Formats: sequence, C-alpha cells, structure tokens
Amino acid sequence: MTPTLILSIIALPWAGAILVWWTGDARPRLQNALAILFSLSAGIAALLLIPSARSETALTLPVGGVFGDFTFVADGLGVFLAAIATVIGSLAVIFSVDYMHGEAQLGRYFALVLFFIGAMAGLVLTTNLLLMFVFWEITALCSYALISFNSDDPKAVYGGIKALVMTQLGGIGLLAGALLIYSALGSYDLNLFIEKAETLPTSVLTVAAFGFLIAAAAKSAQFPFQTWLPDAMEAPTPISALIHAATMVNAGVYLLARFYPAFESVPGWKTAVVAIGVITALLAGVMALVSNDLKRVLAYSTVSQLGYMVYAIGAGGIFASQFHLLSHSVFKALLFLAAGAVIHSIGTRDMRQMGDLGKHMPLTRAVFVVGALALAGVPILNGFWSKELILEAGLAHGPIWAYAIMVFSAGLTALYTFRCVWMVFYGPAQSKHHGHDAGTAMKVALIPLAIGAVTTWLLAGPFSHLLESSLPFHDIEASTTLLFILEVITAPATLLALAVVALGLVAWWQRKRLSGLAHALQVIGKAAADSFGFEAINRAIVNAVQGGAESLRATHTGLLNWNIFGILAGLIVVLVVLAAGG
Amino acid sequence: MNLSIPGIIIVAAVALLGIGFYGLLAVRNLIKVIVALQILVKGMMLGFVLAGRLAGNVTLGQSLAIIVIVVDTIVAVVGLALAVQIRQRIGSLDIKTLTSLQR
Amino acid sequence: MNANTALIWLIALPLAAAPLIYLVGRLSLRASNNRRSPVVAWLGVLTLIACGYPLYFAGQAVLAGAPVELAVNAIHLRMDGIGLLLAVVVLLLGAMVMLFSTAYMAGDRGEEKYYALLTAMIGSMIGLGCAADLFNLWVWFEAMAITSYMLVAFYTTHPASLEAGFKYLVQSATGSVFVLLGIVLVFSQTGALDLLEIRNAAHSPDPVLLLAGAAFLIGFGVKSALVPMHTWLPDAHSQAPSGISAMLSGVVIEAGLVALLRALGSLSSVASAWGGLLLSFGAVNMIVGNLMALRQTQVKRLLAYSSLSHMGYMLVGLGAAMAFKVANGAAGGFFHLFTHALMKGLAFLSAGALLYTLHIARGDHDPLTLDDLNGASKRYPLTAFALSIAVLALGGLPPLAGFMSKWQIFVAGAQTQNLWIILLVIFAALNSVLSLGYYAPLVNRMYRKTPSATVENGKPTPKIMAVPIILLTLGVVIFGFAPAWINWLTAPAAASLLAVFGG
Repeated sequence: MTPTLILSIIALPWAGAILVWWTGDARPRLQNALAILFSLSAGIAALLLIPSARSETALTLPVGGVFGDFTFVADGLGVFLAAIATVIGSLAVIFSVDYMHGEAQLGRYFALVLFFIGAMAGLVLTTNLLLMFVFWEITALCSYALISFNSDDPKAVYGGIKALVMTQLGGIGLLAGALLIYSALGSYDLNLFIEKAETLPTSVLTVAAFGFLIAAAAKSAQFPFQTWLPDAMEAPTPISALIHAATMVNAGVYLLARFYPAFESVPGWKTAVVAIGVITALLAGVMALVSNDLKRVLAYSTVSQLGYMVYAIGAGGIFASQFHLLSHSVFKALLFLAAGAVIHSIGTRDMRQMGDLGKHMPLTRAVFVVGALALAGVPILNGFWSKELILEAGLAHGPIWAYAIMVFSAGLTALYTFRCVWMVFYGPAQSKHHGHDAGTAMKVALIPLAIGAVTTWLLAGPFSHLLESSLPFHDIEASTTLLFILEVITAPATLLALAVVALGLVAWWQRKRLSGLAHALQVIGKAAADSFGFEAINRAIVNAVQGGAESLRATHTGLLNWNIFGILAGLIVVLVVLAAGG
Repeated sequence: MNLSIPGIIIVAAVALLGIGFYGLLAVRNLIKVIVALQILVKGMMLGFVLAGRLAGNVTLGQSLAIIVIVVDTIVAVVGLALAVQIRQRIGSLDIKTLTSLQR
Repeated sequence: MNANTALIWLIALPLAAAPLIYLVGRLSLRASNNRRSPVVAWLGVLTLIACGYPLYFAGQAVLAGAPVELAVNAIHLRMDGIGLLLAVVVLLLGAMVMLFSTAYMAGDRGEEKYYALLTAMIGSMIGLGCAADLFNLWVWFEAMAITSYMLVAFYTTHPASLEAGFKYLVQSATGSVFVLLGIVLVFSQTGALDLLEIRNAAHSPDPVLLLAGAAFLIGFGVKSALVPMHTWLPDAHSQAPSGISAMLSGVVIEAGLVALLRALGSLSSVASAWGGLLLSFGAVNMIVGNLMALRQTQVKRLLAYSSLSHMGYMLVGLGAAMAFKVANGAAGGFFHLFTHALMKGLAFLSAGALLYTLHIARGDHDPLTLDDLNGASKRYPLTAFALSIAVLALGGLPPLAGFMSKWQIFVAGAQTQNLWIILLVIFAALNSVLSLGYYAPLVNRMYRKTPSATVENGKPTPKIMAVPIILLTLGVVIFGFAPAWINWLTAPAAASLLAVFGG
C-alpha cells in the first residue's frame, strides 16, 4: 500500500501535467477540471500516507550503476511535507481557476504547477541523494518557469532567471556534498549516511555540512541569497503562495532538518546556521517594514519567518522548526491567496493605492486578518504557538544574543504586519478602486486555510508523535498537545515575547508620536529599500560577467591568419606544458 | 658542416614547414593560402619518406607518402574550388574581405 | 551473420551507397527533366536503416567481450567499445538528420550531392571509430573532413557559407598537417603504425614521441574544437545547412575526439600529462564556450558556442579517466558524448525547423536571430517545446538526459579524491549555471504571448520534420529518467579506453 501511495503522490500530478498540456488551451474548462482532479487526488494520497509513516525504505526503483537505486521512504518529515505540498498545491490550483481565468497559455501554467507538486513531494520522500538533487532542481526549474510565466514582461523574465541562477548556484553546494558523500560511502542512501556520518573523513563531512547549508540558504532565500525571493513576486499570486511561501522555499529548512543529526557535530556548523537564521530574520523584517508592494511585504516576511525556522534548527529545535513550518505554510499561503484576491480585484500591488478595501471585500479582509494575526504571533492562532516553541528552543540551547535579536524581530513582525493590514484594509482610501470580493473558487481555497490558521496548533501532539516514531536519528520528544500548551503558557519567555509583540502593535498605533524616531531611522530604511546593498552586489556580478563575455567576443576577429595563429598558440602552450611537466 | 642525407631531409622538411606556416600567417590571398597548405604537406611527404628509411621500412614510408599526395590533392582541389566560388560570389580573393563572420 | 562480415558491411554499405545515391540522383534528374529528385533522400535513409542490421551483429560480438578484428590487405580495422559507441551515435543521429533533411533540403540545387556526401561522411566516421592503425586513422579522418568541407559550404550561392567553408578547410587542413607530423615522428621512432604495436614499443619519455603527442593533440584538437583551435566551429556550425550543423556538433567534433583518444592512447605510457592536458583544455573550453555564447544574437551561433563548452565536459570526464583511472570518468564522458549528440542534434534540428519555416521557406537566407523566436510557441508549439527541452537539457537541468551525463562526470571527479579535480567539478557546475544565463532567456522568448513579425509571417512546418524532432525529444527525456539504460554502450567504451590508459 505504502509504495503505491508514494508513487501516486509523485506520478499523479505528473500524469496530470501531461494530460493538461495535451488538452490544449482551446478547452480551459477541461484543463481546470483535470488540474483540480489530479492535484486533489495526490493530496488525498498524501493524507492517506500519514498513518503509515515508517522509517524503513518503502520503495526501491532499481537503476543501478553510478546512479544508485532510487529509494523512497515515508517517514514523518517526508509525509508531512508531502502532505503540505499536495494539499496546499490543490488549494492553489483551485484558487487559480478564478485567478487565472481568461489568461493565455493556461495549459503551460497548470502543467508546470502539477509538475512542481509532484517534484516537491518527490524531494521530501526520496532517500537517494542523487534523486533528491534531481527533484531539488526540478522544483527550481518549475519555479523559474512560473515566475517568468508572463514572458512578455521583462521584469518577470528577470525575476525568473534570477531565481533560477541563484538557487542553482546554491545547489552546487548540495551537488558537491552529495558527490563527496557518494565517493566516500559508495551509496546515495541518506539514512545510511546519517548513520555512518561519524565514520566519514572530517573533510568530507565538513564540505557536505557547509555545502548543504549554502544550498539550503539559496533555496530558502536566506542571507546572503535573500534577494531572489522578492523579485520572484512577479509570478502569478497562487504561485507565490504555493512555491514561494508554502512549499519550495521550505525545502532548504527541510534539508537542514533532515541532515541535522549528521552535521550536528561539525565544528561551527550550528553557529553558522543560527547566525544565518538570525541575520535573515532581522534584515528581512526591516525590509518588510519599508516596502510598499503588498506581495513584496509578504515575500520579505516569508524570508524572515524562514529565518526563524533555520534559527530553530541551529538551536537544535527540529520539532519547533518543523512545527513552525507547518503553521507558516498555512498562514502564509492564506495571506498570499488573500492578497491575490485583492490584487485580482483592484489590479495593483501598490499598498499606497489601497486602503479601506474591507468595505467591498469583507471575506477577504476577514481571512487576511486571521492570517496576519497568526503571522504576528498573536494567541491563540497557530503562528503564536510555533513561534513560542522556537523562541523557547533558542533560549534553551542557542546563544543569548541570537535569542535577543529573534525576540526583537518578533516585535518587528507584528509591526510590519499591522502596517500592512492597515494600509490595505483600514486606512483611508487612496484611490477610486472598488474591489469586488473573492470568487467562488477563491473562497473554496481561502476558507480551509483560514480554518487551518486557527486550528493546526491542535495537531502539535500527534505531529510530535509522528516525527518521533519514524525518525530514528533525530532526538524528538513526543508529547501531547495539552503538555505543549502548558509548556508554552507557563514559560516566562512567552510573556516576554507577547510583550514585544504588543509593543510592536503599540508602535504602530503611536506611529505619529514616534515620527522623530522614524526620521532617525530613515537611513536604515533607505538601506533596507536597497536590500542593504545586496542588489548592487548581484548587479555588479552580472555586469562583470556580461562585460567580460562581450570583450571576449573581440577575440573572434574572423580573420583567417588570426585563426591559424590560434592553432600555433595552442601548440606552443602544449609544448611548454609538456616541457615543464614532462 | 657535415650533413648526412637524413639530416638534409630533416632540414628541408622543417624549412618547408616554416615556409608554410609563415605563409598561413602572413599571406592575404586565398590561392596563396592553399599554396602554403600544399607546402606544409610537401614537408610531411618528405618526412614520411625519411621516416620509412629510419624505421627500416622504405617501401611502406614511400607508399604512405603517395597516399598523402592523393588525399592532399583532393583537399587542394576542394579548397581551390571554394576559392573560385568565392571569387565569383564575393568578387575578391583577399582574406580581409572574408571577415563577415565575426564575434 | 559473422561479426567480421558484419563489420565489412557496416562500413562498406554507406561508402558504396554514396556514389550510387549520386548516380541515381543525376539519372532521375535527367529522366524527369525537373529540378527535384526526392528519391535520393529516401535512398539515404534506407541505407542508414540497412546499416542497423550489420551493426546489430557487429555490436553483439563487441559487447560479448572481444573486439572485432579485420584486416583487408594493409587496412586493419578493429571495432571495440569506443568504435561501437561512435557507430551507434553516428547512425542514430545520421538517420534523424536524413529524415529531417528530406523536407529541409527539398528543392535545393544539388540535393543528390548532399545525400551522397552525407552518407559518405557517415561511412567514414564509422570507419574512423574502427581504425586500428595510425595512418588509417588519418585517412578516415581526412575522408570525413573532406566530405564535411563540401557540406558546410553547400550553399555555394551564399558568401557567408563559402567563407565559413573555406576557413574550415584551411584550419582543418592545418590540423591535419600536425596529425601527419605526429605520424611521421611516431613512425620514425617506433617503426610501427598499428596502435597496439606503437603502445608496446613506446614507453620511454622520448622527446620526439612527446612532440608527436603534442602534434596529435593540436591536430585532432582543431577538429574537436579545443580552445584556442576552435575558431572554425562557430562559423561552420552557423552557416551549414541545419542538418549538417547537427551532424558537425553532434558527431563530427566527437569523432575528432575519438581519433585524439586513439592517437594519445598509443602514446599513453610516454607521458602521464595527457590526462591533465585534456582536463585543462576542458576547463578552458567550458568557460570560453559559455562566455562567448552568452552575448550571441544568432540562435545557431549560440548553439555552436555551447558545443565548445560541452566538449569541455567530455574532456573533463575523459581526462579524469586518463589521469586517475576512474572508470566513471570514461563512462561519463562517453555518456555525455551520446547525450550531447541527442541534445545538440535536437537543438539544431528544431532551430533548423524554425529557420526553415521563418526564413528559408519564404525564400530568404537571413540567419535565425533570437528576436525571431519571440512568441514562436504560439504557431509552432511542438518545435518550440522541443527546442526548450533541448536547451534546458544542455543547461543540465534534470530530469533531462544532459543532467545525468554531467552527473556521472562529476561523480568521477569526486572519486579522484583530488582537490584540484573536485574544484574543477565545482567550476564545471558553475559553468552549467552560467549557461542557463543564455538558455533560459531563449526559452522565455519562445513563450511570449505576442509573436514577432517573423513568426506571424512564418510558413507551416513540414510534417516530416516533426518525426526526428519528436524522436529526439523522447530520447532526451527518457535517458534523463533512465540513465542506466545506456550503460550497455558506455561501459564497454569506458573499458576500452581504460584498457589503453589504465596502467
């Protein structure tokens, strides 16, 4: 049963992708129906898989040779992320029916979304490092293709290629690590690797640990790769919700969590993870505060929240990070989809042109507020519980400076969240936009997510059991939801965090009074608007490469004598090398 | 100077190579380029004859040289044919007019 | 069928069919008194399909373990794993190109010459893979080169194509002089021409033999487009008829590489530097090819430069095998040779299909520029999809074939346990990322919603062109999902290489 389920989680969306493409753009209704059917059935398969989570290899596809056997395992981490990918994937597909209504090339759109869902599920279910890299890259490919879905828009093309190139650059870390592990171990099986990590040469383990960290940082848009995610917001909004909030960007966190037991003992690794998480959470929080583009605010907040998860892993809080991943997927997908409904209805992403939209779209406002409160960490929504767990883990096992910054970032989160909600739904209307509320398909996608944002924290207990029972190498303490609640409520740290969140809220109410302070912080704001100079670095690298390429072209003069000279020059070089090296 | 016969042949072959490469690097006329190529290959023919002698297999060396002559003639014919076409289509045999494919 | 007979047939069939095709073409032209002779194209296709029969028997014998040896007077042929690989790739891609050309070349003056030359080129490449002595190797090499000169300059009415053909001829002939020089030196020192005999006779680091090795490296290096001997390649690839571009990029430069491996193999014990030299050429080829391709505006020229970088990947794999005796390097290099033939063949054929529908069929011979591709998916969904698959595979994105072959090369690099080689692997991976910088925008262009004026005015794609394009697309996808399906071909080839280089 388990092998069939695993295969169908991956193969159903892929088969759907081919079918949707095959259907052709002349029959959009059939395309919609097929896309929903296949993504939903994959979602159901993933949910059915949860009860049968085991740590043993569940499925082996023999390939042989240097490619290893393609093995799959349905353990806690895998099934839970596969479920997120497929369930939120289905909701995004349903949402797209309204959002993408009437767009050209729908077949390509749905095919790529389905292709992505299958690949994402494959990424978390496989235990073969090669196959993991394959799925890793496929998700990057889909992400690129969907960001630049609107190929006529140069900004979309730029954003897509930027995302592709940056995640690929990071992917080299994963590649190098996987190659070295294979050459040292003779196998791609990652459970075998985790088990035998101690016996491997230190150099291999160190390269793998930091290589994987680079790959994870690039994929999860962590410092110093954080710049691609905001530019990825040119994607259609359901894509932002699915790929750039709920699933693909979590792959980096997943990777770190998965390999934590192996790399735990590598000197400096945990500190590096903590540092990356802290820096990212803080920087992205500040950037979210100064951005005026609704989707960019959400993107920065995604980066910042991913920073929390990375921080938790560095502090050893695997369960906390995965639990926050679950909460974040739900509330951030909700926020993005609700923002999509807003954008779809008024046709702009600039928050300065919004304001007082709640009147016309009460449902959208309601669900957006639910998501925003969860993001801000207000009890009793799911974001509150998981963030508290992260902060507790950080306080218990991480350095205190990191904890302090993270608590401060929690206040920052509350501040930019309230600013965003205010500018979009409550503040004075800035233009004559008269939005209409979300369509039926949009509502079908939004309401379950809103319910989820209020309730998923109740799953803490079962979730910890799921992880504990099927992850032999991770130290996870299973507990019950009630105990988790008690633990959070009784911890003094919770009160501190709540106070900071409240402070963030107060800061927003009193923003007029704080204008002097805001003025003083303008320098930071300006720097934040330029992504603290990272955009400039990116541009400089691109320009240098392009300029180098252009000047290299001058070497092709087209003159025959010159070409012959090239041949003779080659001869001389070879002779010199031979004479020198014998 | 006391040159043996192999020594003379080696010098001649190397000289032919030098002349040929100089031609390829310096001349600007397509026909002369083909001539320079021919000179290069002539040097190699000498080399084959000599190599046959050095290896103690004169007949093999000479027959190889003959095959080289045959093959090389074909190359020269194709090259000259192209040069003729170029003269007809482009109207010049100057190498400098053959630089439309740049960068 | 006896393996020896099969080998004779395999080589003789295309060589004998070539003049026949020409003759039939002339006769049918004269008889029908019109300008078309469609029969020649199908004769060519038939010849290649017929070659599959002897290939099967010869291949079986090779895979059973023993190379097929054959001596016709002084001509000594030996088909081992590498020869088999080359024969399979050549025939496979050749058949695709022939099929494609039936529509692409239809109505061009001198069709009968085109097919006759193409068939002869295919025959001589199969022979090249099986040549067992150094001089034969050169003769096959020249036969392939001469046919390809004429094919590159096939459009004799176009100045640019003449220019490319002439430059190609001069540079290639210069390279061939170096090969001759190498042969002369080896022959005079060892008195032997048979590759195995040379190998037995030459082990001391004799400076003359070192010079001979350098001459081989340069001579065959011109043909396999090692930087800085590559300058003929972008011109020839972009000006030749698209089918020939596919052949040049997919197999001809690789045939040069095979010849290089053979020649250096005979000198393997003279110096240990050959592998290192190939590795460094590989590194240079990758970066120069990618940087040059980055700013190109013509599609075929861009693809031509990307061939340089892919030659670099093969060199890295094969060089690692030669220097460090890692079997995966050889297998990966040969696997990449195979997948590159598929991917680059597909890329050139689908770009050719667009060139045909957008320019040639409308009677102009302008190059296909990147701007022409804008919105091509709207009118030519299949071709645009195939070209996207091809370039994404070339960029090394899974789950396409190009990724898997690169992976095997990278594994070999890691297995050397040598810091420099591991750094080289990372450099190669960086190059793959860099290559996406020009492949990805190309894909985006084709999926724009507003088509360019050229696309609006394009002609419909001939049906027959779709056949090779679909087949190659399937190949690129299937070998990405099931990379081990080609082990039967790459493993014996790797074994043959290591038999020569593995001490």
